[in-house]
Amino acid sequence: MPATTFDVFRYQPDSSDTPYRQEFALDHSDKVTLLDALLQIQDEQDGSIAMRYSCRSAICGSCSCKANGRTVLACMAQVEEIKEADGSDTIQVDPIGNFAPVKDLIVDLDPFWEKFRSVKPYLIPDGKAPEKERIVSKEAMNKVYNESKCILCAACYSECNSLAADPDFVGPAALAWGYRFAGDERDGQRKQRAKLYSGEHGLWDCTRCMYCNERCPKGVEPRDAIEKLGGVAFREGVSWGDAGARHARAFLVSVRTGGKLNETLLVPFTNPVTAPLDAPFALQMIRKGKAPSPLPHRIKKLNEVKHLMKNVKEEV
Amino acid sequence: MAKQFAYYPGCVAEFSSKELNATTQALAPMLDIELLPMPAATCCGAGDIAEAKPNLYLTLNVRILSQAEEMGVDVLTICNVCTLNLRRANKMVKEDPRLLEKVNEELVAAGARPYEGTKEVTHMLWYLAGEEGMSALEARGPRGLNGLRVAPYYGCQLLRPSSVMGFEDPDKPQSMERLITALGGEVADYEGKSKCCGFPILLAREETAFKESHVALAGARDARADVMVTPCPLCHLAMDAYQRKAEASNGEEYNMPVLHLPQLLGLALGLDNDIMDFGRHMVSPEQALATAGLV
Ligand code: SF4
Ligand code: SF4
Repeated sequence: MPATTFDVFRYQPDSSDTPYRQEFALDHSDKVTLLDALLQIQDEQDGSIAMRYSCRSAICGSCSCKANGRTVLACMAQVEEIKEADGSDTIQVDPIGNFAPVKDLIVDLDPFWEKFRSVKPYLIPDGKAPEKERIVSKEAMNKVYNESKCILCAACYSECNSLAADPDFVGPAALAWGYRFAGDERDGQRKQRAKLYSGEHGLWDCTRCMYCNERCPKGVEPRDAIEKLGGVAFREGVSWGDAGARHARAFLVSVRTGGKLNETLLVPFTNPVTAPLDAPFALQMIRKGKAPSPLPHRIKKLNEVKHLMKNVKEEV
Repeated sequence: MAKQFAYYPGCVAEFSSKELNATTQALAPMLDIELLPMPAATCCGAGDIAEAKPNLYLTLNVRILSQAEEMGVDVLTICNVCTLNLRRANKMVKEDPRLLEKVNEELVAAGARPYEGTKEVTHMLWYLAGEEGMSALEARGPRGLNGLRVAPYYGCQLLRPSSVMGFEDPDKPQSMERLITALGGEVADYEGKSKCCGFPILLAREETAFKESHVALAGARDARADVMVTPCPLCHLAMDAYQRKAEASNGEEYNMPVLHLPQLLGLALGLDNDIMDFGRHMVSPEQALATAGLV
């Protein structure tokens, strides 16, 4: 029978404001999930450990936490696999990151639900409801298949680098839900959605750290959804309003005119108003040779690229 | 015989961070690598074109892969972002023959060569930290880093998503540690080494980006690193070129010189300093390197 030490983050604000850590030694069967192990500890050693859980089968999305620093769903994480991956018989268990702890492994998810609601995570079709259901082809549904798998476990928020730097960032799961509906052919609000999601703390806040894709236990790939939302914003013509979108435009112009990125275009394109104010920094960059020629950098066979840029079609 | 690669330096190393390109080109023959130029390769789009025009992103990147295929060699990169964009496109078409067919139709219509899906994309770090690279290094008998204390900084896109990158555990990367140790340096370990540098949003969301670069810069500083080293020129821009701005914005002092990975190797192998051109860095590494007797 395997034995594991669980080093658990404890926070019991009723008795003390200071969090502490507590170790529990546990003998357990060899095919035990992290959630089962924690429940066994709760049952046999300390009934006061607080955590959220319900279905035990990766559907309810309640039991996300960190195991040795990695965000997991406790009911999907096998204790023996974690030990093997980290080469240790001790597992550190912590609440998910980027949210305030409420008690032990429970965090305050209110901001998560607020952000989720803010993206209007429901279908808003045009016109009157039809007499019968709206039929959607399998192909059209496949386009939002990944996003439909989200169980709102918040694992993707736990290590999101943009959220850590900007607590108001609407975040990966909410944006994935945004695409779930912006990409649904029955929805009539694509343009409004593109505007809604392009705001100050919206989709262009994402720094592409890829933690959300790495951690999502359901294969939603939220960063990919954010990228697709960027495409929606472009096609709906709402892409000039945000510096992030103008940044992307600079790439397109560069590639069309030369094939390679023209870095000198990036700054004035992205921040046409503030760029001239930053002259001292620009001068420094020029002195260090970090402001290359503003002329297009021409590659060989540029005509192929021009042809592709003109002819490759984008779908919704 | 030298190991041949189709060399894809990426736009930043070719233009604003020329010192990286020059160092890589000078280093390659010392490590028995032959870099074949790709004169018709475009920008990979850096995730920006993927965001704006996903099909165009895929086609442009497959076009680059096809050029390497025509040359009969795999692609070697020196930038995290290029590596992710090329590998992702490669994975997409390799796993979906119908998608490859569609992309090839576009390529052929534009007069470009279709791709058969036979090539791989490798970052120079992966090659060097692998068996072949390590034995080439050993054969060279590096003069060493004299105990220089180096903070490895990986950034994001060489590690995640691991389903696309897959070279090492994204939460416990060790490739740069292996190289630093093999070269006679000391590893300064710290938590922020695989967090984001903020570069993708630096121009659009400056303050947020600086809060992101703070995590690694402060971590390396607190781990008492002499220098930081990175395999990515975009991380280098965020960490070096924008470091003084980050200091002003965050009310912090980092004073952290940041080396490109090939520069670290160049120092250990005694490459000419003029080629590595540390004068192009915003935060000068000269003093740290002089203290260690490396310049
Ligand atoms: S996207 Fe994935 S990680 Fe994020 S809430 Fe949904 S299921 Fe959880
Ligand atoms: S990729 Fe974007 S949304 Fe996902 S975790 Fe990183 S910053 Fe957050």
